[in-house]
Amino acid sequence: MRVTPGMTADSAIYNLQQGRTAIEKLNEQIASGSVVNRPSDDPLTTRQLLDLQEQIGAGDQYSSNITKASLLLSVTDTALTGMAGLMQQVKKIAGDMVSGTLDATTISGAVGNLTQLKTQLIDLGNTQIGNQYIFAGFSNNQPFDPNGVFSGTQDMLNIEIVDGSTISANVAGGSLLRGGKPPAAVGTGATAGTSPVDILGSIDALITAINNKDTAGISDAIKNMKAGADQITTARADVAGRTVRLDNMKNMIASNQNTLRGIYADRQNVDYAKAGVQLSQQSTAFNAALSATAKLSQLSLLDYMK
Amino acid sequence: MGIGTIFDIASSGISAQRLAIEVTGENIANVNTEGYSRQQVMMENKPVTTANGFGLGTGVQIAEVRRSYDGMLQMQLVNGNSSYQESLTRQQALEQIEPSFNEITADGLGKAMENYFGAWQDLSTNPSGTAERQALLSRSQVLVDTFHQVDSTLAGVAQTSDNNLVGITAELTDNARNLALVNTQILATMSVGGNANELLDQRDLLLRKMSEKVEITTSLASDGTASVTLPGGEQLVAGTSYATIYTNLNGGTATNDILITGVGNPPPAKNPGGDTVVAAAGGGGSLHGTLGGTLEIRDTVIPEYRSQLDEMANKLVTVVNAQHSQGYGLDGTTGNNFFDPAGVTAAGIKLDGALTSAKVSAGLPTGTDPIPTSSGNNVNALKLADLGSSSVAFSTGNATFAGFYRAMVGKVGVDTEEVQNLSTQGAAFLKQLNALRSSNSEVSLDEELTNLTLYQRAFQGSAKVINAATDMLDIVLGMVR
Repeated sequence: MRVTPGMTADSAIYNLQQGRTAIEKLNEQIASGSVVNRPSDDPLTTRQLLDLQEQIGAGDQYSSNITKASLLLSVTDTALTGMAGLMQQVKKIAGDMVSGTLDATTISGAVGNLTQLKTQLIDLGNTQIGNQYIFAGFSNNQPFDPNGVFSGTQDMLNIEIVDGSTISANVAGGSLLRGGKPPAAVGTGATAGTSPVDILGSIDALITAINNKDTAGISDAIKNMKAGADQITTARADVAGRTVRLDNMKNMIASNQNTLRGIYADRQNVDYAKAGVQLSQQSTAFNAALSATAKLSQLSLLDYMK
Repeated sequence: MGIGTIFDIASSGISAQRLAIEVTGENIANVNTEGYSRQQVMMENKPVTTANGFGLGTGVQIAEVRRSYDGMLQMQLVNGNSSYQESLTRQQALEQIEPSFNEITADGLGKAMENYFGAWQDLSTNPSGTAERQALLSRSQVLVDTFHQVDSTLAGVAQTSDNNLVGITAELTDNARNLALVNTQILATMSVGGNANELLDQRDLLLRKMSEKVEITTSLASDGTASVTLPGGEQLVAGTSYATIYTNLNGGTATNDILITGVGNPPPAKNPGGDTVVAAAGGGGSLHGTLGGTLEIRDTVIPEYRSQLDEMANKLVTVVNAQHSQGYGLDGTTGNNFFDPAGVTAAGIKLDGALTSAKVSAGLPTGTDPIPTSSGNNVNALKLADLGSSSVAFSTGNATFAGFYRAMVGKVGVDTEEVQNLSTQGAAFLKQLNALRSSNSEVSLDEELTNLTLYQRAFQGSAKVINAATDMLDIVLGMVR
């Protein structure tokens, strides 16, 4: 084939361009640290990467939901712990009343004490985090008035912790302290101590019974208080169970995220050693091409003619 | 036969070598001229006489100045140009679009969509929270803006393509006019028996240039003139007359149609009502070249992406509104739209005009929380958040919003990669053809310099023969004296 200087020049330009393109590509990968820098670099991997990104993003969102739910549940647990302590005291006072003598001082002392304890239970029932009342269900108003009338809703605040699966982040206040909405009937005689228990109503009944020196009423109230304490303990156990579920889920998401990030990095992160070796190969080749082009394009018969 | 014959032979040598040196000079001068084909001097000896009793030539004469040219290569170059330029045009447009869909290195529509549904998740954990409601509204605005931005990028590329048509057709008409002119000159030169080599080079170069714009069919007449037809059979150049190819704004589609007048020199005036339509919207598939590629981008590639975006916006508006309007806002209202139900395209999507932070309907009545729902009711917020991960019926099958968008990004990637590969192959193919053409037709300085020396020496030789003849004549004349 006949070769002309123009062909050599064209060829040199084309090949130098190819060399530059290859080096540019490697340089981009090394500088950005990413193998895929635009969808057309590798459309299939792009889709996988986007899928991974979405899963990682969803994991982040669920983690944030779980943190919020944990916060609500831990505040709920603190309030429930307080309530359980108060119930111990109520039970003790009721127990003292049934065994001891009911003189006026004791009665007024016990009644005062019980009224205080009831108020404290109501205060705990009105526990707030931010602007959310944790026992008010969907309502955003103070759920218990000073008399213990429950005005919240019995709904569960469900929070999504993984695709399609939710967890309740609250305890229904009406069921907890009033045995339901409307309040359950205060148990007397045969029905005493059956759940659900209207704890606040039973304390009122206890106060009335103490004031009336009604021994049968006080014994009923003791049974009711015991069942009420159990009701709160059950709620605590329930909350604890949910907290465990949240912790497990959080750990699972974390380990999932790690795996996903690992896969993402595996697909997307540049293997610097490999890229470095390729770059040095390419630049050697490019250097050679440059030097050959520089030498060859100077060759001309003109230099040898007089 | 006498000494005079020696003069004749030598002078024919001198003039032949001089002409050869002229041709060599022309070649050297045009070493960098685009489309120039090197010329070779073909010498032959003059008729033989037998004056001496045996046959001897009477010197040298130039048989022809031949143009080194391969018609087959020219044809392949013409075809190769059309498909290469088509891929290149599409590649340039797609590379402009691709950054808008590059979710990998930057946050785009996919991320905005994810954030939008994430904001509903956040709201579900605190349905009455002002901060959460505000965050939802601003993320929705970002989502809407991103839709607009991606769509306007696409629309912009389509608009640019449409505008480019004006320039492409003008250049094509210009080439056609020049070709008709070159045809005229070829005819004139040939009619007086002249050498039209350079004109033929110009003709071929113009044909190659035209083939970059659009696929052409060329027919060469025996008189050296070229006629050009478009893929649809429309005559662009016929001998010495040519047609005007031009754009005309179509009121219906608001895009340019490509029209062509009849041939003539000068061609008849443009008459959009009566001229042949080369390509209306959606009809440029077979044109190839820059023109075909540009039409394809405007009529096929971009509309397809935009219709997918529109479909996504439409589904989002419909699905979100359907769920949202069932819920109750903080102000106790229901039936509120989240997005404006009229804005069902990527360009038109917007938040409902009446939507306020309080009207964001997170609540849905339950058995224990009847109407009016409480401010802490998160049932509807949860359902809305779930829309982000639930399947929606798209025209391409059921997919989540994120999945549908991923498929779109994948398609942009595949399309771009495909045209990149096509134009790389096209470039390599053309390089090969050009190398073959160069090998055949291009001027080699080394070769010309060698020829120069060769002809120069031959010139000197012929001159020496004249010297010898002069000496001989002197001697003969001296004998007489």
